Amino acid sequence: MVHPPAPSSWERREFLGVAATAGVAATGGCVRRVRSVMGWRSRSQVSLEIRAVPADADPFAFRIARSLADWFQRAGIDATVEPVSEEQLLRKVLLDHDFEVFVGRLAPAVRDPDALYSLLHSRYVDESGWQNPFGYANLTVDEDLERQRRSSLTERAIAATSLQETIAQTQPFTTLAFPEDVRAVRETRFENWRGGALNTPRRFLELAWAGDEYETAAERRTLRGVATDERPTENLNPLSVEFRRSGVVTGLLYDALGYVTDDGAVRPWLATNWTFSSTQKRPRAIVSLRENLSWHDGEPVTASDVAFTFSLLEDTTGASVEPDAGTETESEPNRVPAPRFRGRSSLVDTVRARDPSTVVFEFTRSAPAVAASAFTVPVLPEHVWAERRTEASISGVEFGPASEAIVTNNLPPVGSGPFAFERNTPGESLVLERYDDHFLRREDVTGVPDAVRGGPAFDRLAVQVVGSDGSATELVVDGDADVTMTSVAPSSVPRIGRADDAKLLVSRAATPYVVGYNVRNPPLSNSRFRNTLVRLIDKAAIADDVFDGYATPAASPLAGTRWLPTSLEWHGENPVTAFLGSDGELDVERAREAFRDAGFTYDDGALLHND
Amino acid sequence: MNPLLDVLVSVIAVVLVLHGLALAGIVGRKHLAVARVNVKRNVRKSWGVALVLAFVLVLNKAVRDVGVELSWLVGARITGGIYDLEGTFVASVQSLASVELTWFFGAMYVYGYVFLLTFPLVAYAIETDWRPLRELLVAYVVNYGVGLVCYVAFVAYGPRNFMPELVESLLYVQWPDVQLLTSRVNRNTNVFPSLHASLSVTVVLVASRYRSTYPRWLPVVVVFATSIALATVYLGIHWLTDVIAGVVLAYGAVAFARRYVARDDEFEPESPETTTPRPSDDD
Repeated sequence: MVHPPAPSSWERREFLGVAATAGVAATGGCVRRVRSVMGWRSRSQVSLEIRAVPADADPFAFRIARSLADWFQRAGIDATVEPVSEEQLLRKVLLDHDFEVFVGRLAPAVRDPDALYSLLHSRYVDESGWQNPFGYANLTVDEDLERQRRSSLTERAIAATSLQETIAQTQPFTTLAFPEDVRAVRETRFENWRGGALNTPRRFLELAWAGDEYETAAERRTLRGVATDERPTENLNPLSVEFRRSGVVTGLLYDALGYVTDDGAVRPWLATNWTFSSTQKRPRAIVSLRENLSWHDGEPVTASDVAFTFSLLEDTTGASVEPDAGTETESEPNRVPAPRFRGRSSLVDTVRARDPSTVVFEFTRSAPAVAASAFTVPVLPEHVWAERRTEASISGVEFGPASEAIVTNNLPPVGSGPFAFERNTPGESLVLERYDDHFLRREDVTGVPDAVRGGPAFDRLAVQVVGSDGSATELVVDGDADVTMTSVAPSSVPRIGRADDAKLLVSRAATPYVVGYNVRNPPLSNSRFRNTLVRLIDKAAIADDVFDGYATPAASPLAGTRWLPTSLEWHGENPVTAFLGSDGELDVERAREAFRDAGFTYDDGALLHND
Repeated sequence: MNPLLDVLVSVIAVVLVLHGLALAGIVGRKHLAVARVNVKRNVRKSWGVALVLAFVLVLNKAVRDVGVELSWLVGARITGGIYDLEGTFVASVQSLASVELTWFFGAMYVYGYVFLLTFPLVAYAIETDWRPLRELLVAYVVNYGVGLVCYVAFVAYGPRNFMPELVESLLYVQWPDVQLLTSRVNRNTNVFPSLHASLSVTVVLVASRYRSTYPRWLPVVVVFATSIALATVYLGIHWLTDVIAGVVLAYGAVAFARRYVARDDEFEPESPETTTPRPSDDD
């Protein structure tokens, strides 16, 4: 919907006012009066546009948005909803910062307080990507973010508590609920589907073949995935923030130095081991790579690829000087940091290749346990990406500050992961082929979980894109696909339950649904306003009605982890910013009272603010 | 084995059967007897327009992906505006939903539509008068052309995407495989205007102009076109606004086609009746 932006209507009114009073002033000579009158700004109704992806792309987001709009309208806000595609939403929110309110899922999984560092630290307000897209700046939060990063366990917990409590009050974004990821899988061909948490590449590597040995001796074993998300068929660039959700597909193509275990620790993957030492509270790590690693094009994976990757994440253009000179505080005007992995790359001060298989990391002030999370970013091949550190151009014309490394579709991708790119049809399908030179396929591989030893159980991953989650479920139920790569709506549960060979996988997702606010502009820049706005949202009702109970409402993005303070635990109702009503019914009088207390006024049921 | 192929095969099979029935029941033996001569002549008259239509269809397919991208860049997002205009009308239509109705409208939306669009091309191709075929082809070109422009100019999602809690994707819930086909043909951001409605109404308008040719065709077309237009709303795919815009587009397209073909006529004053055999009009 095209809204006349509030300022322009005000400007017109102002102009007419000026024109009219100018006449009076000219005849009556009361210029002072004009100035006095002009000093008062007019009031207009608070309007908010809520954006979310439509039902085909996400069964919940738009329904949440509509519920929100309904509650906001009852409280006198001119709330509207607008469906946009996921790619467009991320582009507007993360790159352009051109939005008011959005409903969606946090893409970076927040299982550790340090994940909030890039999301909320004020040093990132001007960067693009999943680093502070809200424009939030709070000195207490900055302080806590620094403190949790550099502290030992006990003090870290204290910092994390303070951090979460401040966020819960000031609401740069509202954590609504952690959904249950519902998926349909077939067990006739593959088994060892674990708990449904198929949002990490490792879960796919753990699958085991369950089909007939003889039947498939001739043909290759294909894992047939079906997804509602078409973006991986169009772009496989790990740095393209608007094309990535969980990063499972790019995670199969690109390996990282380490992987995250189920209990959140980081263990070596491309590396055989690492040792930490520290000087002046700054950790230093010496990382040894596995022997004879190679990229999918046959080139060897070396320590200088690792060093290059971190230099690229820090500045994708290569305009800045070598990383050892450029600490974060000296920001060059042309520096374009990667829009993903920012929190992790910011832990790293310098990275240097000591010899082809040894990398030396110098970290910023941080605890080694936190610092190790930097090892989980995908390693990129220098011989492919070095030439992409140029300014992006369209038909030879350089355009804005983006670099080629960020905007390239990266097709075909050259990674070092267990799967290599085979072919794609944009919008329709993607095929990956097992990479037989991967270290998991070696007989003497050490230091990897038993379940992935020996390499993947399938030779090929074929992902087909369909129009909606209902179609995806149907393909699995009918035996035309093995797994839904994206989660499906609870309404599909009975269909999956009734089917003979299909199995239902339900597991709590690590990425919550949130309401994000652009706090750069009033009235959303007012934390008191946001704190009151959140009280119009009944998270429990959303979990019950929209998610059909397949979600757990939460007051903090770290809910469900050991970092959640007791003050923010959910016991039947929101521990802070409680809903102004009951059972999804907003108490309009209480809502108005709350906004009046926050300094706002009402006129004929409309919430007003100075604009 | 391949579900997309299954749907495709079923569409082709059903539409062929419908063609057979319609040739027998609507066109009749007398027209068929003189078909060969007329076809040659009509094709000679209309191959140019047919080529343009083919070009527009290929273009449609080719720019579909680019068009969506372009649409996000320059297009107006109007879904919220449409909702403000008509509210939950589609939801109230769906309150009448039943399994039988959904099958009926689903079949109309998929099979009926393809039949409605393709059959008049066949029927008019074997007709004595070359004008209806030419008019219809020109009108199709205008429909697709304007539709293409609209799809770039406006980003609009259908009601099933906008208010999923009120409007169910009835077709895709009851008959999920068909979405494999429709998602290849359409993008879900392209609902304004409804080409299902506009092309169906186009066929009705042309049929009504030339109703003397095949007297039994008009009532059939009216039933099909009405059902298809209703189906798009009932199935939650289109807004009422899209359908109304489609009807307006259809009137415009047919009016244009009429003038275009009439202008041709002036340059080519030969009368069709004198050069081609006519079936005797005694039934």
